[in-house]
Amino acid sequence: MTSAFFGLQTSLRGLLTQQQALDVTGHNIANANTAGYSRQEAVLEPTRPYIVPSNSVNTGAGAQLGSGVDVAAIRRIRDQFLDLQYRAQQMSLGDATARTGSLDNIEGAFAEPTDDGLAAQLSRFWDAWSDVANAPENVGARAALVTTAQTLTASFRTISDQLTAIAQQAQDEYDAITGTSGDVENIASELAGLNRAIGDAVFRGQEPNDLMDRRDQLVDRLAQLAQVSVTDTGDSRWRIDFGGVTLVDPSTPTGYTWPQTLGRTPGGKLGALLELASASGPALTYRSQLDGVATDLVRAVNTLHTSTPFFDTAGTTAATIAVVATAATVQTGSGTASGENDVAQAIARLRGGSTDQLYQALVARIGTESQAAVRAQSTAQSLVDAIEDRRQSVAGVSLDEEMTNLIRFQRGYQASARTMTTIDELLDTLVNRTGRVGL
Amino acid sequence: MSMRVTTLMSSRATLRDLNEGLGRLARLQGQLSSGKQITRPSDDPYGTSRALALRGELGGLDQFQRNVNDGTGWLNTCDTALGQMSDVLGRVRELLVQGGNDTAGPAERSAMADEIDQLAESLKQEADVQYGGRYVFAGTATDTAPYPLGGVDRYQGDAGTITRAIGPQVELPINADIHQLLGDGQPAADDLLLNTLRDISDHLRGSTPADAAALRGTDLQRLDASVDVLNGIRADVGARTNRLAVASARLSGLAVDATRLLSDVEDADMAQTITEYTTQQAAYSAALKAGANIVQSSLLDFLH
Repeated sequence: MTSAFFGLQTSLRGLLTQQQALDVTGHNIANANTAGYSRQEAVLEPTRPYIVPSNSVNTGAGAQLGSGVDVAAIRRIRDQFLDLQYRAQQMSLGDATARTGSLDNIEGAFAEPTDDGLAAQLSRFWDAWSDVANAPENVGARAALVTTAQTLTASFRTISDQLTAIAQQAQDEYDAITGTSGDVENIASELAGLNRAIGDAVFRGQEPNDLMDRRDQLVDRLAQLAQVSVTDTGDSRWRIDFGGVTLVDPSTPTGYTWPQTLGRTPGGKLGALLELASASGPALTYRSQLDGVATDLVRAVNTLHTSTPFFDTAGTTAATIAVVATAATVQTGSGTASGENDVAQAIARLRGGSTDQLYQALVARIGTESQAAVRAQSTAQSLVDAIEDRRQSVAGVSLDEEMTNLIRFQRGYQASARTMTTIDELLDTLVNRTGRVGL
Repeated sequence: MSMRVTTLMSSRATLRDLNEGLGRLARLQGQLSSGKQITRPSDDPYGTSRALALRGELGGLDQFQRNVNDGTGWLNTCDTALGQMSDVLGRVRELLVQGGNDTAGPAERSAMADEIDQLAESLKQEADVQYGGRYVFAGTATDTAPYPLGGVDRYQGDAGTITRAIGPQVELPINADIHQLLGDGQPAADDLLLNTLRDISDHLRGSTPADAAALRGTDLQRLDASVDVLNGIRADVGARTNRLAVASARLSGLAVDATRLLSDVEDADMAQTITEYTTQQAAYSAALKAGANIVQSSLLDFLH
């Protein structure tokens, strides 16, 4: 038979457990708006039953009498598979975002289609040659031509410089992220610390939910920077491979290794930045294609301008193209007569020719690539959003749900208290009112 | 099981939708205020390259129009001068017919000869006419007077051709060859106008029967031949003026077409954009209203 106080103990367990469950609910509500937080759940479990020995009940068999409830664990609700998907998409998004930003700057450098773009300036350059052809004797027209040509070459140089700067910016950003005290190092060192704390807690049999949330959040951030893969080393500590190298390894003394040289295609934002800064990246590719336009212009004009070069023959890139002709040396005709305009006429005829076409094709290519990048970014963004929604669906805090839980546990607490009162009244009957016959 | 919807999820979704709506509104607002539907190449890469090509074409058409105007001015100057020359030749012919009559006395004939000499000088003066400081009848030697007044009768210009570009790969010569009319005077004995006039003047001053016969015979024939040459040059100049007028009209037409095409490619369709803007604005307001309601209500409102 059980003790008269057995029921009191059962009720006490009920009170304590419901209270603890209320605390967990309170923690969830408090963190309803915390980024990276996974909702927690108190796992309630009946405690070990009291074994009623055999022969003590009518059937002669023994029985197990329930002894109440306890919190078996406080677990974090999260779907690791969604984390994997989320990180894969974060990597694409990091790549697409860096690419879109850079291409946006490249488009800005070209400033087309406007009245100040290179296309409009080329048009003005041909206009100036036509004006010279209309008035070959006029020094004013030739001086205007030289000024127009100088403005044109200055524009070539400005765009070339901007493209160089855009590639350099990508390199600078890469260096800042991967450098000493950069994002990668900060995250890695925090992850190493978390690994230790989580390992210790798990060793003590605890579930360090909030530390794990923080670790997941940091790995999400790493995933945006480069390809990440996570391996559990068996004690809830993680080895994290990052961009082709092992970044965090619990078996090393410091827990992480940085700086390291990433693989050739690290993926993510860093992969995109490496490519954007490289000679085969868009900025420098378009710069060399702009060089092609400059080369074509210099060749086309100088071939017709036979007396002395109009453009500096040494400057055949967008950065070095320069006008050497002056109002006095501009050649208008092939002979010496002042009214001859065949050379000016022939150069004006270059309008709409290979130089203009090369440049237009270049602008169209930039537009196409930039448009594709914007689309890729928007796709990656919506995929990340969709997966984040599913993650939130699993791990996010629903206030309605927590309010319901609040009522549930409050009622549980109240009912446990009522049970205790009932048992107390039983004891009161036994202790104070029993054996008082005749008193 | 239906999807579990959490608090953060609905607020995130609301915020995302509001952001997207605002982004669409901002894009349309940009189109409305700039009047352009292409503000950067990625808005429409193909449209951008079309716009660049059309802008280039339009710039070219403007320039060709300027060239045509310049060429028309030049040819008009030529035509006026040639008209004056025509009048001069009329007067010469009058004098020649009078001088060929036996009724004219030596004094009268000498006066006629003086007038012929003056008329020859005025022909040279017309040949020295300038357009914008350039001698129009000197070939490409536009800084040289073709027949300097008071000088010899020899042509000082060259045989060069001056052209104006009036269309893509189309160039029209705008100068007339006055040398084939006026020639190089008596020393060259080329039977051209200046030579003829000097001969007529000599024949008027001369008193031999041969002089009188020449006045009535060969001089008149040579003069008439020169009149034909002059008429030919005037007709040619007139035809080229007409061609420029036609080119000008065609260039204006092409410019109108190119402007319209460019506007189709580059400009925002205001009616459509405004309609779209209004629609987006309504959608955005609805999203705001709905968002305000969704995010605000929770079980808390109903528990006491």
